[in-house]
Amino acid sequence: MRFVVRRLGFFLVTLWAAVTLNFLIPRLMPGNAAIAMMSRYKGHVNPQAMHAIEIAFGINVHESLGHAYITYLGNIIHGDFGISLTFFPDTVAHQVFQALPWTLALIGTTTILAFALGTLIGLVSAWRRGSALDGALPPLFVITSAFPYFWLALLAIWLFSIKLGWFPESGGYDVTTTVGWSWPFISDAVYHSILPALTILVTAIGGWILTMRNNTITVLAEDYVRMARAKGLSPWRIMWTYAGRNAILPNLVGFAMSLGFVVSGAILVEFVFNYPGVGWMFLQSVENQDYALMQGLFLMITVTVLLAILVADGATAILDPRTRDRS
Amino acid sequence: MKRLMILALVVGLAATATACGGSKSSKSGGSTAVTISNEQGTTWTCGFNPFNSSVNFLSFGTVYEELTFVNGLQSGKTTNWLAKSFAWSNGNKTLTVTMRPGVKWSDGKPLTADDVFYTFNLLKKNPGLDLNAAWSVLQSVSQNGDQVTFNFKTSAVPYFYYIAGQTPIVPKHIWTTIKNPVTYKDTHPVGSGPFKMASCSPQVIKYTKNPSYWQTGKPTIETVYYPAFTSNDPANQQLASGKAQWGSQFIPNINSYYLNKSPDNHYWFPPLVNVSIFINLKDPILSDVNVRRAMAYAIDRKKVSEIGEYGYEPPSNQTGIVTPTFSDWLDKGLANQVNYDPAKAKSILQNAGYTMKNGVFEKNGKPLSFKIINIGGYSDWVASVQVIQSELKKVGIEITPENLSSTTYDADNFNGKFQLSYNGNESGGPTPYYELRQLLYSKNSAPIGQPASSNWERYSNPQTDKLIEEYGATTDLAKQKEIVKQLEAVMVNEIPVIPVTEGVDWYQYNTKGLSGWVTKDNTFAKPAAYENPDWGVMLLHLKPKGSS
Repeated sequence: MRFVVRRLGFFLVTLWAAVTLNFLIPRLMPGNAAIAMMSRYKGHVNPQAMHAIEIAFGINVHESLGHAYITYLGNIIHGDFGISLTFFPDTVAHQVFQALPWTLALIGTTTILAFALGTLIGLVSAWRRGSALDGALPPLFVITSAFPYFWLALLAIWLFSIKLGWFPESGGYDVTTTVGWSWPFISDAVYHSILPALTILVTAIGGWILTMRNNTITVLAEDYVRMARAKGLSPWRIMWTYAGRNAILPNLVGFAMSLGFVVSGAILVEFVFNYPGVGWMFLQSVENQDYALMQGLFLMITVTVLLAILVADGATAILDPRTRDRS
Repeated sequence: MKRLMILALVVGLAATATACGGSKSSKSGGSTAVTISNEQGTTWTCGFNPFNSSVNFLSFGTVYEELTFVNGLQSGKTTNWLAKSFAWSNGNKTLTVTMRPGVKWSDGKPLTADDVFYTFNLLKKNPGLDLNAAWSVLQSVSQNGDQVTFNFKTSAVPYFYYIAGQTPIVPKHIWTTIKNPVTYKDTHPVGSGPFKMASCSPQVIKYTKNPSYWQTGKPTIETVYYPAFTSNDPANQQLASGKAQWGSQFIPNINSYYLNKSPDNHYWFPPLVNVSIFINLKDPILSDVNVRRAMAYAIDRKKVSEIGEYGYEPPSNQTGIVTPTFSDWLDKGLANQVNYDPAKAKSILQNAGYTMKNGVFEKNGKPLSFKIINIGGYSDWVASVQVIQSELKKVGIEITPENLSSTTYDADNFNGKFQLSYNGNESGGPTPYYELRQLLYSKNSAPIGQPASSNWERYSNPQTDKLIEEYGATTDLAKQKEIVKQLEAVMVNEIPVIPVTEGVDWYQYNTKGLSGWVTKDNTFAKPAAYENPDWGVMLLHLKPKGSS
């Protein structure tokens, strides 16, 4: 019980600190949103429009920092993140909810897949150390995970979309399909996500393999594994319930953390593939000095990461009694 | 066993890929749809408010229309659009517009002079919507039957372009119901134009033709797809593969990347406004006209164009007249006065009392060494400035580029916090007068530290101001040209800025299924898809190939 209260208290204090920093940091940045807006149009907007834009965006409205902070806290509690400048006059909440499903589906699925596959390959290759599988897959994926993502993704586009024509080179779906919960649209969206998903998998899987394989090898040297062998249990059962279950603990925490980061999207992936997700939106908000959007996204990421850590703490406490005792 | 699972997964994925791959087929012959590839670096908000500067290019021209179309490639030639006719009176201080009868909004209600009257009063009441600052020159607007009368504070001929050509007319019966027009999204715009917005998602906007459009029998195109591109490469790829037929962006190495991919691929980059070196005239050294003149002679503009701009943007001349677009306005004698001549540049400086020391000219211990600000993200401008740097070095002038983020760069330009600035951000207009006015009119300037709207070099001369105002009082083309030629003389004699290359409209087009495109010989509208309302005019001209 004390453990839970302590963890929750820690969570709340961190959350408050994050929310406050989130309020302060964008306000310490130099620049002016109207000028940022003008430069996005490369001078196609009449220079005299500047003043009109400032009026429209409510820029140069003088408000004390303390007052702004209180309004900000109040709005957050009501789930109101304000109006985005980049997507003026749309609200931040609406824009984020539009982009979030794409990111969750692509990055979320690939994160889970990379974790599952990586852990599996790591476990099996540690179990069959020296086998052909162990000799091939871990080194291969460790090498691919060291490739710069940008380069690998562009190479994949060049090979699979431009040369071979197997996959579309960009976008979340074909522009001529109608968006909705229909089979043609969903299959089209899945088809568009294969290439980005594969490139993420290939670059992300190596890390999971390596840690899982190393953990398993350490665990395999433990007495209880030797005991299990001596009892004559099937190798299948030893691998899963004795070695795997213990070796996965550190990976599990890492996994929870990476799930928390899913909502921040993958800027590079979304940029290279012109994918309509949150990561790209994040970049955009910084470039346009869109405080409201930036704050909304930061807050969402912070809260999910904090929640993920909380869950990971809880999970570790349940799976590993030692962590509970020492608290 | 696990290997089997992975194998099964790979096979499964491959099967999905081939299954889906089969469903794609390319159209051949005449096409009734056009797809635009214009990278805006953003997804769509699905807002279409024509007075919102970030989305007006998506509705003005197709959904909403102007009173009179002003052709920026034919020295401002006018075509009456929603207006049937217009007339100037009262010393060109009063503009009377007569409305075209029989025009309907897409919801069936008639478009009348009342809507025009309402639109301009809407701008007056909400300065946040008045993107062209119409009410900085307008005195009043009144309506009488099918006529709308605009009264200006001064003679305002050049403002016709902004009032009649750049102001979208909106339906009164819809906009009167809106609480706050400035933050109004306008997700389902009701306009008078040739297209209706049919559906919108953050990734793509679909427009379909307005069957009751007032220009009978038009448009012949049924559908327009406007996908959102957040980066250049996928947008260029769509153009090269022919999936998009109308492009409006920079493509590096365009001949091998785009042109050679298909005999149907074409491009044309009409120059519209200069990219220049802005010289801060309040700088103690740069205020010496000899230094500025030496710089103007020292730069081989052709070399900058070829190396820095892949030859896409042609070299400028010192008069500030963009050629060939505005060649009619050019005084060739003046243009030839300042040609590339490094020896002359050196002699100008020597005659003005500058002496060479360690390869750099100086006077009173002050070397001719300056900083030039530039946008770090524009790789072509960065390359251009490198060429300029080496050219100036040859005549003993040292410049150091500072490649900034566009936000910092803009703020520095507006506030005059630079010595030299490489800049092509003037908006220009349908005749060369507009750019010269933006550059030279002292009312567009401001003291250092305060934002100037377009006269960033801080040029000020009452004589020049008088010329600029005189142009505003005449509708006589011959007289207008005579005034512009005098402004060209100001550019050549005083060198307030040094035009280097001519910024262009980016325009690629595919003639496989569609005809009627703007070409070098048929300049009926500015051809880039981001030009509004011109893109609506372009779409009205497009026809499925094979149809008459």
